[in-house]
Amino acid sequence: MSKKTSVTRRSALKALGGVSLGGAAFYGPWKHNRVYAAASDKPLKIGITSDASGQYANSGASDRRGMHMAIEEFNAKGGINGRKIETIHIDTETTPATGSRAAERLISREECGFLIGAVSSGVANAISQVAQKYGCVYLNTNSSSPTESGENAHRVKFVWDGNGNNFAQAAVNNAMTAYGKDWLLLTNDYVWGHNTSAATRKLVDKYGGSIVDEILVPQGTRDFSSILLKVQQAKPSVVAAAVGGDDQKAMRQQVAQLGLGENMAWINNQQDWPDVYGLPLENLFGVFGTTWYYKLGLPGVSEFVARYQAMYPETAMQVPGNVFYNGYMATRELLSACERAGSTNNIKVIKELEQLKVSAEDRMQHHDAWMNPNTHQMQQTIYLATANHGAEDKDDMFKILSNSSPEAVQDKTADAAANLEPYEATPSYEA
Amino acid sequence: MDALLNLLPHIINGISLGLLFALIALGFMLIVGVMELINLAHGSLFALGAYAAMLIISPDPAWFGPLGQWYLGLPLTLRYIVGIALAPALVAIVGFGLEFCMRRTYGKDPLYGLLLTFGAAMVLEESIRLFWGSGEQVMPVPQAVSGAFLFGDLIYSRYRFFAAGFAVAVILLVWLFLERTPYGAIIKAGAHDSEMVRALGINLTRLRLYVFGFGASLAAIAGIVMTPIWGLRPHVGVDAVVPAFLIIVLGGVGSFWGAVIAGVLVGLVVGLTGAYASEWSLLSMYLLLIAVVTFRARGLFGKKSMLEA
Repeated sequence: MSKKTSVTRRSALKALGGVSLGGAAFYGPWKHNRVYAAASDKPLKIGITSDASGQYANSGASDRRGMHMAIEEFNAKGGINGRKIETIHIDTETTPATGSRAAERLISREECGFLIGAVSSGVANAISQVAQKYGCVYLNTNSSSPTESGENAHRVKFVWDGNGNNFAQAAVNNAMTAYGKDWLLLTNDYVWGHNTSAATRKLVDKYGGSIVDEILVPQGTRDFSSILLKVQQAKPSVVAAAVGGDDQKAMRQQVAQLGLGENMAWINNQQDWPDVYGLPLENLFGVFGTTWYYKLGLPGVSEFVARYQAMYPETAMQVPGNVFYNGYMATRELLSACERAGSTNNIKVIKELEQLKVSAEDRMQHHDAWMNPNTHQMQQTIYLATANHGAEDKDDMFKILSNSSPEAVQDKTADAAANLEPYEATPSYEA
Repeated sequence: MDALLNLLPHIINGISLGLLFALIALGFMLIVGVMELINLAHGSLFALGAYAAMLIISPDPAWFGPLGQWYLGLPLTLRYIVGIALAPALVAIVGFGLEFCMRRTYGKDPLYGLLLTFGAAMVLEESIRLFWGSGEQVMPVPQAVSGAFLFGDLIYSRYRFFAAGFAVAVILLVWLFLERTPYGAIIKAGAHDSEMVRALGINLTRLRLYVFGFGASLAAIAGIVMTPIWGLRPHVGVDAVVPAFLIIVLGGVGSFWGAVIAGVLVGLVVGLTGAYASEWSLLSMYLLLIAVVTFRARGLFGKKSMLEA
């Protein structure tokens, strides 16, 4: 004889109540919903979101080398709060949609505590939207659209490169005085190009110049002949180019072939080291910006270069450049913030980073740097450089022309446009 | 009048660009025409040719010791000629290897051939990355064809005109080979009816091997010629394979002059949009393809199938 089992209304309500309480304890309402690695012996996982293919593959590799060197140094000291640091890399393919997917997977499936890496601003923006949804701290190491710390700023995102506006401020006024007031803009047809050219346009207007034409360069352009003919027909005093990655390499090669680098003044907003390393100096025409150079002659620089060479003896790029530097500095500061906070709680780490101040000596730059708490962009020294034709060392390609303090080139537009989410709206977790 | 004078340099530029596009598509067209195979490794063979030529033109002196030093002491023009002659031959050998791997896919679903050449493209690209690194490389060109010249108010690249002239020469040589030699006749017959060629006692296996090798060497020649314009990096082949595919569809699969004329048309469209609506310059070639295929599905010079009424 079998015993009859029945579900009474009372037992059903009890079960429902139990499930609800358990669910509430785990999922909220206080949004403290991810406790992946509270145990101190569990490794701290960092997701690396950088390009290994596409337009910025080469810069992505340099960016990763910088991150790995910083992580290696912390692991050699015993990790973060006794926890070893591990990394997982997904190729973001210089494609925003892939960036979103990579971020989603690294956070939700691989349970990474932090995300680091970007060269393309479109990709960085896509990653940061996903990161904000989860509250995951994300370091945009190397993308430099002004919107990254302006209208696309997020509470969880920190931007470590100088942006198009910073570089334009460092260059425009001087170039206008030296070369003339009729400017032509060459704009890569994506977020960084548009925003950088918009910043240049604003400054040209401010100093009394005029824009004679703006030529849009679609991403993936390899033939610049028609564009360069158009540039010649327009006869500008200055060409301000915001063209990056492989497009920029092809453009430089074709400008050098025509000898246009010497025939008109060029301002190349920012010049990433991996894009020009090993190229002939005639390809490196005009004036361009950078955040760091391996021959700055400041304390610590030669030791930093030696550490790079010891860690990457086989790398074709025998000296580090700005992309490596940004990857390294961003990662180092994140891990230092975790140490100072004594925790990997995202909100505590965010607050530490928001009040970050780094001395010029520690940054190996000419001026002290500081994190802008409103935009989450690192305010740092901006250098202008040109090709170093007199160098004996083949790697010594840049001749630094000037340095500007962070205050002199601060992007006030980004300050006005940034609107960070409140802490309460940012999910909290222990990495 | 001024507008016409402004337009003229862009038309000349478009035609020169188009001839280069036609050169890129030539090897692709040959393999599709004879073997009915879409060779997705065409771009990687293009890149491999450029890297091989660079190795021959300016080898690392550390690799070959005193012999390397002596070789580097030879005039650049001589090394360039050696490079442009030897590199396509080396890539043809790689093409032979690839065709050998392809044999099991003949007569089966065309997807197998597509997948195999896609895989080969990835293997070749990664091999290039391992051997030469992922950084940008520069191929030196002889002084005689480098630099610029002034015509009217505008500066033109001397190399670009050399490259366009070289493309015309290669196109004519390939045409003469196909039209005026018994080997060309066999290749054309193979493209028209491969079974009949076999029935006539011609070794079809060997014919396919040679055609694939020839197509691969043409891809390599295009790679060598384009490198001083586009630059050289492991994934540069991607920039070549897409226009090559588009041009043979536009010109009509298997049509030699169709591919040449389509190349010139694409060059003109890309060049003119680059000058007057640059944001459309990359898209313009696809719009041209859509416009043509909408009214003429087999492309500009594609032959009517026997199945069509």
